[in-house]
Parts: sequence; structure tokens; C-alpha cells
Amino acid sequence: MRVKLLGTRRAPISIREIFSRMGLRRVPAVTVARREIPYWQERGWTRDGNRYTGSYQTPYAAFQGWIDVERSGHIMYYLLSPSTEIQISGHWACFAQRANGWYLVHMSRRPKDVSSGIITIERLITEAYQ
Amino acid sequence: MKKLSVVVAGTGQIRDVEIQPGTTAGDILHQLSLPDYLLSRGPNEPFFAAAESIYDKVSDGEKIFASTKAEVGVAACA
Repeated sequence: MRVKLLGTRRAPISIREIFSRMGLRRVPAVTVARREIPYWQERGWTRDGNRYTGSYQTPYAAFQGWIDVERSGHIMYYLLSPSTEIQISGHWACFAQRANGWYLVHMSRRPKDVSSGIITIERLITEAYQ
Repeated sequence: MKKLSVVVAGTGQIRDVEIQPGTTAGDILHQLSLPDYLLSRGPNEPFFAAAESIYDKVSDGEKIFASTKAEVGVAACA
């Protein structure tokens, strides 16, 4: 006899789970609907009339912000308490100080929608930290 | 061939496209009739240049963003 039975023991849980799953009947796949929402909303900004409030978010830092859409269609972006990294970046000249730690961010090329401006400022913040 | 979902930032609308090797960012924007837009993989990634082939820089099924051109710049600071 080439094989000698030495004993029997229970398989580890991980292996038992694999076999138990094999016995299950596959249920039909569920299609998950994609959310088609503007970027500002996806990033958690809220809107009250022509004013948006939220934060500019990057992997390095997040800054509180608010945005005003003027009647003319111009969009004004504000950022609270920019960090030292932003202050020593090449774009610091475009931050105009306002009251209570707020800064207006000048755009040399104005975005056509609120979301594009948020993306631009988030990219600026990222660049300041890199 | 790779499939991409292009999210138009201002509206959140998602446009599904299929690209072949050598497809540029400009090709996609032209196809989607978004001439004033720029493509990027996200806010923390640089924009693709219009003439840049993006096939090798994106993954199949990836979501990328189209946003309008904007720049924080000195010109408006004066």
C-alpha cells in the first residue's frame, strides 16, 4: 500500500467558505445606476441661490471655500486661510485678502462653470504641495 | 480598444466613449463637441494636452473629467 491514512482533520475556515460558495446558486447581476451630478455636488458643496459653500479638497490639504455667481455670470472664488505652502507658491499674488481670513482667488482665465473653477483651485493647491 | 466615461464637470453628465490606440485628448473633445474643455484624470492630475495620445495613460473603464479652461493667473491680479 503506497498511501497510509494518518488521520482526518477539519479544513481551515477559508477553504470551507470557498467550497460552501461553490454550492450557492448565482443570482442575477444588479446594474448600479451611475450618479450624474455636477462636480461641485460630488465634492460635497452645497448651493443656496447663487452662493456655494464647501471645501477645496486635495490629498494634501482641504480648505474651506465659498463661491459667488454674480448676476453678470462672473464666478468669484474665495478660500479661507491659505497655508504657507500656498503662500510661497507662484500663485500667491492672485490671492487677494478679504475680511476674517478669507481670500479672493483671481482667475486670469475665468471658468465657465463653478465646477471647473473648483477643479482649477484644487489643482493649484496640489501643485503648491508638490 | 478601451472604454472611458467622460464626466462633464459642470453638469455631471457622463459620456461613454471607446478609444483606439493613438487617440488624443483633442480627438475625444472634438467627438464629444466640447471644444472649450480640457481632459484630466481628476483634479489632482494635470490636464492632457490636446495633441497628447491618452490611450496608454488611462485604464479601460476609467472615469475621466472634462472641465472648462480656467487659470489662476497674474493677468487678472493687476
